[in-house]
Amino acid sequence: MSKPKFQTEWEEIDEEYQQLQETHKIYRQKLEELTNLQTTCSGAISKQRKCLKDLRRSLTKGSQTCDEKELELITDIRLQIKEKENVFFDMEAYLPKRNGLYLNLVLGNVNVTLLSNQAKFAYKDEYEKFKLYMTIILMFGAITCLFFLNYRVSDEIFNFLLVWYYCTLTIRESILMCNGSRIKGWWVSHHYVSTFLSGVMLTWPQGPMYQRFRSQFLAFSIYQSFVQFLQYYYQSGCLYRLRTLGERNQLDLTVEGFQSWMWRGLTFLLPFLFFGHFWQLYNSVTLFRLGGLEDCKEWQVFMLALTFLILFLGNSLTTLKVVHQKLQKNQEKMQKND
Amino acid sequence: MLFNPTGFTECLREWEDLEKNHQQMQDTHRSYKQKLEEVAKLQDSCSGAIARQRKKLKELTASLEECKENHPTPKLNPEDVDAIAEIEDSIKERADAFSEMEAFLPKKNGLYLTLVLGNVNVTLLNKQSKFAYKDEYEKFKLVLTVILFVFSFTCRFLFSYRALDALFNFLLVWYYCTLTIRESVLISNGSRIKGWWVFHHYVSTFQSGVMLTWPEGALYQMFRNQFLTNCLYQSFVQFLQYYYQSGCLYRLRALGEKHNMDVTVEGFQSWMWRGLTFLLPFLFFGHFWQLYNSITLFRMFQLPECKEWQVVMCCCSYVVLFMGNFFTTLGVVYQKYMNNQDKSKIL
Repeated sequence: MSKPKFQTEWEEIDEEYQQLQETHKIYRQKLEELTNLQTTCSGAISKQRKCLKDLRRSLTKGSQTCDEKELELITDIRLQIKEKENVFFDMEAYLPKRNGLYLNLVLGNVNVTLLSNQAKFAYKDEYEKFKLYMTIILMFGAITCLFFLNYRVSDEIFNFLLVWYYCTLTIRESILMCNGSRIKGWWVSHHYVSTFLSGVMLTWPQGPMYQRFRSQFLAFSIYQSFVQFLQYYYQSGCLYRLRTLGERNQLDLTVEGFQSWMWRGLTFLLPFLFFGHFWQLYNSVTLFRLGGLEDCKEWQVFMLALTFLILFLGNSLTTLKVVHQKLQKNQEKMQKND
Repeated sequence: MLFNPTGFTECLREWEDLEKNHQQMQDTHRSYKQKLEEVAKLQDSCSGAIARQRKKLKELTASLEECKENHPTPKLNPEDVDAIAEIEDSIKERADAFSEMEAFLPKKNGLYLTLVLGNVNVTLLNKQSKFAYKDEYEKFKLVLTVILFVFSFTCRFLFSYRALDALFNFLLVWYYCTLTIRESVLISNGSRIKGWWVFHHYVSTFQSGVMLTWPEGALYQMFRNQFLTNCLYQSFVQFLQYYYQSGCLYRLRALGEKHNMDVTVEGFQSWMWRGLTFLLPFLFFGHFWQLYNSITLFRMFQLPECKEWQVVMCCCSYVVLFMGNFFTTLGVVYQKYMNNQDKSKIL
């Protein structure tokens, strides 16, 4: 009697399953080899780092008492050591590594290194999209709270959303940094400061002081979301162009400030940015004034005043530095031409 | 002191050595990246093959069902009946085999992890790392529970400031959020926590968030002490839970009776009948305290001077927590009771 149909089907499936098991076995083997290679590479990099550090120290000692020729050699070697550091940084972007303190606290020791260029770029793209969508949502949230709903509850929800948004940004940015992105300094810290600010806003109880500041804060949030939207929109286009020209790294991100590469076409954003920074200063001044009133009993007022001041200082000084650098470069160029 | 010329030549020699090593390292790294690509391809083919197999097995199961329905048993060849039963058993086994395989393949994150982390792969690709991650999760819970205990003690008995309470509540919100993230990662890695024990962390996050926004006032002061004492008690019981449960889980894992990725929970589960029954009264007392909290809040809500929405919101959260906790635990007790009945019937 001929085999029933299901029997033949089953035998086909079984055969494929045997193949799958073989492939999976090979995969597990290769995975182990890969893990060993990872350990070797990471070990080699840290050993090299240590040796280079020692070498740099002994060169520094030596450069104090040696002749000109040797000094030239030493400076040359020093430069090459710095280049090597960059090479290490790029290599490590493809190796699993221990998470920093922040990611360790939140995620634990799961490895967040994306092991292919494609995956890294896709992750960066996703981060940008996330920022864009959340910025639009926050803008609508602020508009709703300012013009339509005047309840402390809806304000709370808006503030919780802000806190969650900034927290998530800090998590995603930590992951990006693990993957070789070079965001640093103020543009990372200011998300932590913003989280703190939104958290304090959250705890500010309903009252006359709160009502007096509320509209200003919501209007400011609307403006900030609008500028951030402009930033992402124009910056992404510019970054795309610069990446195809090979002038920017694949993992460079849009930021909420002004960076040196933005002089090529995005200078129009500067007045918007400075206006936003001065609005932060104005918020801080308003809050200090409110804090000085007699009927002000809430600690949130003074804390927010300080936080807005820190944000203003960080934002404007960082942006001014970029402008200053550009002016200096232009001066040097003019001097060369003369 | 003159710079030693031999010292300088030594440096130069070292530099040349380092350059050579650097070359070697770059070569190793290059072969590593190649292997990485190979492994990624293998991962894709394995995942694809598993998905295809699953689909085919589903179709086969459907056609087998059809077979059984269209040909009632007496008309079917007895060999065929046996063959069908055998195949169905094997299909079930295959499903388990696929889950085992998938525990070592990268997979897309669920909605929650995608929102928070994005599309970074959180699958730990060997048993060691999975176990280490689970261990770390347990330690995290333990350390944070102790911190929350000390903090709530401070707020309850030492300092009475709304700002400090706000800080405590922020810590609670952060703790529960982080727990939800880590538990999502554990679930991605094959851990079988589910149902109420995952969901109740989301409810606790919400409840702590609402407590956070409750402004200073007469009603807040009325509830504050009860809330803080409850937190104190809860931290204490959780500490007991983790301490005794980890010991018990370790023993059961060594006996091969529990899965490596099973974690301690804030409730009572069936495996805990073997030595942890003493925890039950503590748990039930905690659940009834949650009910008491919600009753207190409900009474406060009915007072004329109650204007804060937080009161009714917290009341609802506590009711949800009580019912979830109580009925889940009761379910375990009921199952045990039924098992005992079955046993005595057999005897």
